[in-house]
Parts: sequence; C-alpha cells; structure tokens
Amino acid sequence: MTERRPNRVLRPVDEQFWKFCSDRELRLQRCLDCSHISWPPTEACEMCGRTRLSWELLSGKGTVVSWCTFERSYYDILPVPWDNILVRLDEGAHFLSNPVGFTGGNAKANMPVRVDFIDCEDDHGSFSLPVFAQEEPK
Amino acid sequence: MTVDESGHSAAGELRADNDMRARAAVVGIGVTDFGGDYAAARADRTRPPADVTTVAKLAFDRALGDAGLRPEDVDGLCARLLHRGPGAAELARTLGVKPRFLLETGGLHPIPTAVQALAAGECDTLALCYAAVSRSSGRQFGGQTYGGDGRDSYYYYHPWGWSSQAAHWALMFQHYMAAYGATEEDLGSVAIAVRRYATLNDNATMRNPLSLDDYLGARYIVRPLRLLDLCLVNDGGVCLILRRADAAKDGPHAPVLVQGWGYAEVTHSKMHYMVEERLRPQLNSAVSEALTMAHMDLSDVGHFQGYDASSVHLVNQLEGYGFVKPGEGLDFCRDGGIGVGGSLPTNTNGGMLSEAYMHGWNQLVECVRQLRHEAGDVQVPGVHASMFSFATTDSAQPVIFGRAGED
Repeated sequence: MTERRPNRVLRPVDEQFWKFCSDRELRLQRCLDCSHISWPPTEACEMCGRTRLSWELLSGKGTVVSWCTFERSYYDILPVPWDNILVRLDEGAHFLSNPVGFTGGNAKANMPVRVDFIDCEDDHGSFSLPVFAQEEPK
Repeated sequence: MTVDESGHSAAGELRADNDMRARAAVVGIGVTDFGGDYAAARADRTRPPADVTTVAKLAFDRALGDAGLRPEDVDGLCARLLHRGPGAAELARTLGVKPRFLLETGGLHPIPTAVQALAAGECDTLALCYAAVSRSSGRQFGGQTYGGDGRDSYYYYHPWGWSSQAAHWALMFQHYMAAYGATEEDLGSVAIAVRRYATLNDNATMRNPLSLDDYLGARYIVRPLRLLDLCLVNDGGVCLILRRADAAKDGPHAPVLVQGWGYAEVTHSKMHYMVEERLRPQLNSAVSEALTMAHMDLSDVGHFQGYDASSVHLVNQLEGYGFVKPGEGLDFCRDGGIGVGGSLPTNTNGGMLSEAYMHGWNQLVECVRQLRHEAGDVQVPGVHASMFSFATTDSAQPVIFGRAGED
C-alpha cells in the first residue's frame, strides 16, 4: 500500500539520493578528503567544504538517539499521534526518520534499528522512503 | 534586509570585538501592551490583524519618551519588522525621523553592529525597532511554512512528517531525560518558575499562577513537550535607543552599557550537536568570548534573560553557559535558583513562555530595567551585570550589559 506524504525537497543532488532509495539502498555522501558523511544531500562537504563526495552504500544499521510524537497536526495528510525517531547510523551520520513496528511509546535510547523502505508518493510522484525497524537480537 | 527566524545573517560581524566594550549604552526602552492586546483579541475575535508598522511606532514613541528625546534627535535607525515587514527607510517615514544612517546588517539581534556603528560615528542616537504580528497574521511554526532558504532542519524532513521548532526541542528533551534520568514533572519546574514572575508583571500575556497539576494537565504539542513548554505566539513591538557612552549620561534613567558579546554556531552535524550535546560547545565558546570582552567572570552575572523559546532550551543555556553543571539545570529551577531571591534570577519578566514572544527583544528590555534598578517587585538587589541570550536550534549569541560606573 502506498502512503501519501508531504513533498520532498528535490534539488538535483536530492534526486540522486531518492534514486538509490528506489533500489532499496541507503547511500549518503562521504567526503573523499575528510571522510565526513554529510546529510541532507549537499554539493560540498558540510565539514570541510570540499566537493569530492562519494555516494557510499551504508549498512542501514544504527541506534535510536531520540524520538518524539506529534499530538498537534502540522500536516493535513498525516494522522496524529505521529512518531519520529532520530537514528545514529553506524557510519556516523544522524538520520531523522519514522519507526516501523514500534512507536515513540516503546522506543528506547540506544535501541538497535535497521533501515527498511516503504512505498510512498507525493506531488512529485512515487518514491521509496527509508524508515527504521527494530533490529532483532541474534 | 531579510532575517530568517533562526537569526542567521552574516555571523562574522557578531563575533566579540574587544575594543567595543562599554562604548555604547541603552538610554531608552519601549514595548507595546502585550497582555492588553492579547486580552482585547480574545474578547473580540473579529478584531482585524495588527499592522506591524503601527505596532513598531508605538514601541518607538514610548522608547523616545523613556529616553527624554525628540524624533529629530534620532539620526540612526534599524528595522526588524518580521514576516516581510518594511525596512528601515520606509519605517523612518512612518516614525517621522530622518536618519542619516540605516543599520541593515547584524542579524535578528543587531546590538553588536549597533555599538560598532555608534563607536564609528555613523550616527549619535540609534533606534533599534522590532515588531512582529505572529498571532494576528496566523503565523504557523511548523508544517510546510518554511521554504528552502533557511536551515535545512526547518524544511528538509517533510516526507517523514517532521517539522516545527517544537519538534526540535522535543528531541532534545527526550534525549535529556534518558541521559540524566529526568522526568516530565521535572521539566514543569521551568514553566512554573518563569510564570511566577509573569504574575508580578502587569504587561505579561499570561498572568495566572501555574501549579504542577496545571502543567501536567496541559495538552501535548509534540511529546514529551506540552503547550506550556513552548513560547507564546503573540503580536507586539519593542524599541531600544542607544547612544555612545559619553553621550548617554544626561538622560532620565541610568544608562545601561553594552559590555560584551559573543557568537558561535553549529557548522555541521546539526542533529548531533543539537540533540546529544544540546549546543554545549557553541554556548560555551560564545559565553567565553563575551566574558573576555566584558572583563568579567560568569560569577559577576547577577541576572539572566535566556531564550526560552522552549523550557528545555532555557535549561540548555543555564547548563551550556556554565551557570550550573550539565544535568543539574532542572534541579536548579525546581529549587528556586532562577526565582526571586535565587542565585541567578532568570527571565524576571516572565520570559517568552509567559510575558511575550518577541524573538528575545522583550528579554533585552528586562536586562535594562534590572540594571536601572527599576524592576519593581522582581528587582534583583544591587545587580550590576546582566546577560541576555539569543539561542536558536543551532546558534548562541550572549550579550552582557552593565550599570555605568560599576564596570
């Protein structure tokens, strides 16, 4: 089932990110000079300002840093309560996303999570949105 | 000029400038009727939206009267009329002044730039005018109200349904609770302490005393934050009039000197610095700079006007500037540290949580009242140095004021 979402920001550099997502790949830009991973997408490394960036395929694994639940609606097309999580990806960047299979009510600090992709659409068309599910203990 | 609400503009000119200590003073203050306007709007829902220029003019006229000056004395003007209000040249016509200098740079809080302009002789009497009609214009602080011209955290995460200043503060406090074992009840102590001051302020928007039950009964906006953890949205104007220190001695009130300022901002990895560090590196760097410029230690600061866009952000500033240790800010608020008679009376006007949300400009006015020793019931006895803080989701800009003759 396809979920309706508020519009993405779609500069050329963002188009690239979403294209990888449609292949179910979470790729962010690593700077070939200072190794910093920038997010959101950028033309120049947010750390050192240089422009040799590589779209690195990430593990998709991370841990929950924080979370919040909207009770007031800011988007007509989304229901409340609405959960968001902030994930520290294993490779270092912080990624704001949604939880799947858990909520703000049972999120825990440092909970291990793994990326998943859900089918969405906005005014620009269909896309795959990276979200995070709890990583099952081995 | 345009200034986005996160206050970013030409950060370079906001850094401390040690030659500028005690060069200029605030000689006039004016504010509009925050509480009265709010009550009138509640009583008559058909009241037309306030006009931002009219609001600015009222504050200007009051500041001029407070300073004992006439319109023809004003030869410098700065306009910060938000949400596409007019600039300084257009405002000058409405105010009936003919400035030879228009201050167009320096961000949302241009005191540093104003001092530099006065010291350089660009003008002798500079009026800084702020006004916003956030309430009557229906300003929303979340959803798709921000375009691609501000900081990306204000608009980039729409597809995940995340936006609003409130949500920034919510992520901070959720992390804070996990880091220090704090609770939502603990956070209530901030809104309650700040409201206690507002009950003593005839001009405050919210004047009813607040109990912990009232706080816990307030609706959530973004969990874990409630309505009472977030600043008001109201209309109003503020004006400050500054002159060079040597020309500031003859007014009706004690002149209040600008003694120091600092600035620091997050330049990368915003979510990390904002949520996990609560801007401690930025707050620490900015306050060190300001104290050095002011020739002061933090212990000299006897009164604080923090940027309480959210209750939790006031705690971030108390901790990040070093007034209390990390993790101890909520205990400090609960135990009366920021209250009347506390070790650091803070937001003694009721702050932006209870007096008015004037993007910090009303906070500046309270620093001046305290240092004039004209703060009435909430006067900090003998206070000689007061710190104002403008702190956004990714920047810190403290300004230190002092009483003339006591520097």
